[in-house]
Amino acid sequence: MSNRHLLSLENVSREELRSVLELAREVAAGSFERPLSGKTVFLAFFEPSTRTAASFELAARRAGADVISISTRGSSLEKGESLVDTVVTLDRLGADVLVVRHGAAGAAALAARHTGAAVINAGDGRGQHPTQALLDLYALSAALGGFGGLAGRKAAIIGDILHSRVARSVIPAFRAAGMEVALVAPPTLLPQEPVWEAAVLESVDAALEWGAEVLYTLRLQRERMAGALIPSVQEYAARYGVQRRHLLPGVRVMHPGPVNRGVEIAGDVVLDEASLIPDQVAAGIHVRAAVLMQALGVGLEVAA
Amino acid sequence: MSGEFVIRGARVLDPATGLDGELDVRVTGGRISEVGPGLSGVRELDAAGLHLFPGFVDVHAHWRTPGREDEETIESGSAAAAAGGFTSVVMMPNTEPVIDSPALVSGLLRRVERESRVRAYVAAALHEGLRGERLTEMQLLREAGAFAVSDDGLGTASAGVLRNGMLYARSAGLPVILHCEDHTLATGAVHDGAVAALAGVPGSPASAEDVATATALVLAAETGARVHITHVSTALSAALVGWFKDRNPNITGDTTPHHLTLTDELVGTLDGMYRVNPPLRPEEDRLLVGEALADGTLDFVATDHAPHAPEEKELPLQEASPGFLGHETAFAALYTELVLEGRLPLARLVQAMSCAPGRWIGEQGRIEPGAPADLVLVDLSEEWEVRPGELLSRSRNTPYLGRRLTGRITGTFVGGEMVHDRMGAKLGL
Repeated sequence: MSNRHLLSLENVSREELRSVLELAREVAAGSFERPLSGKTVFLAFFEPSTRTAASFELAARRAGADVISISTRGSSLEKGESLVDTVVTLDRLGADVLVVRHGAAGAAALAARHTGAAVINAGDGRGQHPTQALLDLYALSAALGGFGGLAGRKAAIIGDILHSRVARSVIPAFRAAGMEVALVAPPTLLPQEPVWEAAVLESVDAALEWGAEVLYTLRLQRERMAGALIPSVQEYAARYGVQRRHLLPGVRVMHPGPVNRGVEIAGDVVLDEASLIPDQVAAGIHVRAAVLMQALGVGLEVAA
Repeated sequence: MSGEFVIRGARVLDPATGLDGELDVRVTGGRISEVGPGLSGVRELDAAGLHLFPGFVDVHAHWRTPGREDEETIESGSAAAAAGGFTSVVMMPNTEPVIDSPALVSGLLRRVERESRVRAYVAAALHEGLRGERLTEMQLLREAGAFAVSDDGLGTASAGVLRNGMLYARSAGLPVILHCEDHTLATGAVHDGAVAALAGVPGSPASAEDVATATALVLAAETGARVHITHVSTALSAALVGWFKDRNPNITGDTTPHHLTLTDELVGTLDGMYRVNPPLRPEEDRLLVGEALADGTLDFVATDHAPHAPEEKELPLQEASPGFLGHETAFAALYTELVLEGRLPLARLVQAMSCAPGRWIGEQGRIEPGAPADLVLVDLSEEWEVRPGELLSRSRNTPYLGRRLTGRITGTFVGGEMVHDRMGAKLGL
């Protein structure tokens, strides 16, 4: 009954966002003493990840949960045991929550069909990365005077939208929070068909002309940096990289990490005061603790 | 061997011969001997209220034998075919090992002889190992009994290699069945449309099929080979087939029940069940491919029956094996979704499932004296739910699971033998 999966933000509501961010703020304020004591959280990472895994692990441990990490290289098929078999095994080991990271969209949803534990999607292929978008909203609302301060703000999502699970969570989440979203990417890094009915702009400069206050840059994977999708890092950085000259008053720069300095963001901008990147990382622990609590039905009365 | 009997009172519909009415059909020695009103015999099958069509013909099936008998055998595949009203089936060569040598063809045909309930034909590989490099020994394959050649499942080789394959197949007297897919474009798992983009599943653009189809058609026209384009799934590929067919009688094309009834909306489920190749397309393609079938631009329907073990389907969509079961639901799905929706006349569906593919493979697909008694009895009023436990295939990967369909096969005859019987016919055959 109390188990609530967190698989996707595609259809998230403003109220759901408000409630989980409120709970995260309570967590940050120290309102709970080991709220997940006695609960078992499995981190099932089928794809390498250090930052997200560390963030989840810290969040769960600080909340008092028993945490067990299971990570495998390559696809579940290469390992021999299927995703479903692994999930069933962890279920029988007594998992209360499964945090799943996998290289294929839909993996977390598939896991959820085969366990009684709550499943939290920690990133599935190009699909979704809901906790990333939640921590982004947490950091952004803290910078803009609260959740209510998000409404009406303009955010440009910049970079490799086609291959990005972060974009697929951030775009609907930002919109649900009342923000307006535009996309900035070369055509080779955008879906072929208009999916989000958002304006498509041709450069960071154009995004600022459009009125963007938030420059949300996406990571460009190394294997895509030169070749058939974009000609070179230099040409990419010139149009889609955030430079110091873009830091107009009130403009905030975000990135889900890890940043390729000098590609998505100029080296001297990454830690500029306009950058929310450190805040995003810090928010992760509170937000993920809140997500774990919601999944287990703990602390809900506070947020209600 | 099956003696003589009369099927009485069915509504006989055969667009090939123009039959359409309540008639009796006498079967003698495995062939149709007489069609008309008021026939009687020592043994009679009361088929009043049912429809009688020429048996369905499926030129595209994977019975996974040899190699993956856990997924399908000749016995189970042919039982599934018979349950779907199919009396003739062409088996594709992408088995383990690939059917690319005369010995493998004759070995498979010997097994068919013993194990199949329906007529089964062998499509051998066009290239050794389906690798698109070295031609198979097509003259010898034909002498061993191969019916056609195909590199199905692997898509088309380079244009130069394919052209030589067509020239050689023509000289060997074998039709070429082509799965058209350009591998430089087909890098994804589903149709590259809005649904895939939103869901984050890597997509392959429609051009992956269209470019390969155009290449194949140009080469077919140039070489004069008998070329059949299978599982056409886009509006543009259907139109291309139509343009070339108008100028070249050796070209034919088919599409599948699933491309005529399902769309890429199912990608949104992220369920590995719904991966198939070519992928399910948007509604507009579905409708236009349906029109192409209705107006004869596409000649017939083939199922691409592709059984898969559960562990190959119970995966995230992009990691699942592509393919659906097809035999047992083909007629009902098309009757329910196209005929009852007013988009395809029943007579055209029978033509597309029986007459046209029957003529393509030989003398099947007709109800007239002298023709083989390959027949299917159908109850067009029966509604049924597709349930896993009731499938005769060894596999369960039907995209129609749980759906309610209208129109059910009640009896299937191959050469006068009742190979599927849901009516308790007690013919003593």
